[in-house]
Amino acid sequence: MAGAERTTKKRAQRIDLNYFKHPHPFRRWRFWLSLSVPLLALAWIAWYGLTGNKRVYSGGKMSPAHAVLTAKCDACHFELAGFFSAKASDRACLACHDGPIHHANQTFTPKCASCHMEHRGSLRLAATSDASCTQCHANLRTSGAETHFARDIEDFSTGHHPEFAAVRAGSVDPGTIKLNHAVHLKRNLAGPNGPVQMDCDDCHRPANSTDAWRFSSAQPSAAFAAQKSDLPALSKSDLPLIVSARAYMAPISYAKHCAACHGLQFDKRFAEGVPHDTPEVIHEFVVKEFQQYIATHPAELRETAPGRNLAQKPLPAPVRVLTPPQWVAERVGEAEELLWRKTCKQCHALNFSAGADLPTVAKSNIPARWLPHANFNHEQHRLARCTECHAAPTSQETSDILVPGIRTCERCHHAGAESAESRCFECHTYHDWTKAKEVKGGITFSGLVREN
Amino acid sequence: MRIDHTHRKWLAASLVILGVATAVYIPYALHSPSGPRGGSAIGLTFGIVGSAFMVFSGLLAGRKKLPVWRLGRAQTWMRGHLWLGLLSLPIVLFHGGFRFGGPLTSVLMVLLIIVVASGVFGAALQHYMPHMMTIQVPSETIFEQVDHVREQLVADADRLAGAASGPTDVIASAGGGMIATAEPAVALEEGTEALRSFYMREMRPFLQSHGARHQLLSDKERAHSTFEGLRTLLPAEAHDVTRKLEQICEEERQLRRQVTLHHWLHGWLMMHIPLSLALLLLGCVHAIVALRY
Repeated sequence: MAGAERTTKKRAQRIDLNYFKHPHPFRRWRFWLSLSVPLLALAWIAWYGLTGNKRVYSGGKMSPAHAVLTAKCDACHFELAGFFSAKASDRACLACHDGPIHHANQTFTPKCASCHMEHRGSLRLAATSDASCTQCHANLRTSGAETHFARDIEDFSTGHHPEFAAVRAGSVDPGTIKLNHAVHLKRNLAGPNGPVQMDCDDCHRPANSTDAWRFSSAQPSAAFAAQKSDLPALSKSDLPLIVSARAYMAPISYAKHCAACHGLQFDKRFAEGVPHDTPEVIHEFVVKEFQQYIATHPAELRETAPGRNLAQKPLPAPVRVLTPPQWVAERVGEAEELLWRKTCKQCHALNFSAGADLPTVAKSNIPARWLPHANFNHEQHRLARCTECHAAPTSQETSDILVPGIRTCERCHHAGAESAESRCFECHTYHDWTKAKEVKGGITFSGLVREN
Repeated sequence: MRIDHTHRKWLAASLVILGVATAVYIPYALHSPSGPRGGSAIGLTFGIVGSAFMVFSGLLAGRKKLPVWRLGRAQTWMRGHLWLGLLSLPIVLFHGGFRFGGPLTSVLMVLLIIVVASGVFGAALQHYMPHMMTIQVPSETIFEQVDHVREQLVADADRLAGAASGPTDVIASAGGGMIATAEPAVALEEGTEALRSFYMREMRPFLQSHGARHQLLSDKERAHSTFEGLRTLLPAEAHDVTRKLEQICEEERQLRRQVTLHHWLHGWLMMHIPLSLALLLLGCVHAIVALRY
């Protein structure tokens, strides 16, 4: 080959010794690209700077809630003290949103942005990560008083989240109304007009349900006009949680749910029953009814004794003529004996104090909301049968608590795909909205939105 | 630079750094209330470390330009450039929590990925191709001198062909190009006429075309059989000339091969260097702006 035949000297003579002084296209291209590409990059940034558009520096797409502010960076980013102080501060958030403190005994208050991360695209800002909560609740410390809350909650799974307080071992139903769910849900239950099959929603419906109640009183009488519910009203703290007034079931009402089958008749002389009210009101009613009756039926003041000897009862005189007050007192006594010892007692806990004429009826104490520190919305669970979560058909004891425990919820709400949301925010609210304050926003939309 | 046993310490150190970074990142990402983000303390640390790696990698160009600076051996800088440059990608990914973010940060991530990918590609080329070049191009010359050497080859070939078959006259064509006339200046023997004709029609265009494909002499085997055939037509005195012409063709083929390999070996730098400069520049902008916001 030519190369092998050439000497080193000949080879050296082939090379132009000043070659490095002449630019080569390769190196020229490399030089000019190395100059132009960074300048292009700089020009790109400068263009945004000249047009006053800071969106190039955005950390990512805005959430849908704040998307309208995409071009208005200074709505949240304004200098507090110097050039490097334009982070989105709590002050910016609180200009539009109130964020009440979580708990008076918390040891620190996290910044808004530590839980509600913006610039993460189409995410719900309220959908905070579990880490936002477990930074305290995984090893709960409080300032001041001891807490009755669990101290080591890591996530919503058995073992990492305590059993719901309402159904923990030793918990009993605080309600005093005697009810056997199994009996009420059995087939061919005796109804007002023959056998019936009751369903859960014959008694339990959301607060704003407008469907007719199957077992309500046929016609509200005057006696019911003054009926008061003794069930506790939902508190102010519940109001924000009842998003659509269908989150929780309406309190049980005698008139709507019980009256058709459980009449309050007190005497065969009267078709109407006593009002569903306090013993004092009932007593007054019964006395009045009998007084009105005897005034129009004076013949009954003459009583003929029964023909048979009732066991262990003093035999009355063969014929008695009573005065109206005597007659009323006897009838009232009999009626109230029936009511206190049987009719009312069938459902209510009555307390007979020594020396008192009338018993006291224990407050029904049916909780309107069993989980006061968690939110639940029946509306979002309406796809499921009631009995999937509430073991009513097999409940025979009043003391049974039919609120499901954590294992029931875990069937759907667990980590992983093909499961319902199980992060803390799904059931728990950080901000104590009972302490919410009104906030007046100051954003103007000029230049941000389409003008019509 | 070949990736050989001398890189072991760098590989080990890089794996340790990556392992430590991963061990820090995973619990941070899992337990951070707001998720991994660049502005957190750990995120910022990753960002600073990643930037330091990138700046060091960028300083290789300066070290090469200033060899008199006794700041470590060039090989050490090169190894650092390779390994720390490669490490900068996972470190920066940890910094951003594997999110690309907004316009500027997305551009930065894309630039970084392209720069690292092109760097890895280039390192692979630099590992394998020099040896390939040594084997395939024994007549290698300085790349910038290839055109100059080619001119000399054409001159050598003209001289040899002219000596064997009469001088070749070169006239300007109507289009401004240079073509050789096939008209001999003196009467030739029949055999050398074949040589002249072959030289003017095949070999000279081949020497001047600098890389055109599908030429008879582009392929070594075909060129050899062509020259063998030519030698059967020529008198014995002309065989030495044809051998030398064949050697010139071989040298031209090697120069072509050298140019191709050189383009592969250095062409990726056309992407790697400009983009890395843009990356460093925009990275500075990002650092300032991110700290502000």
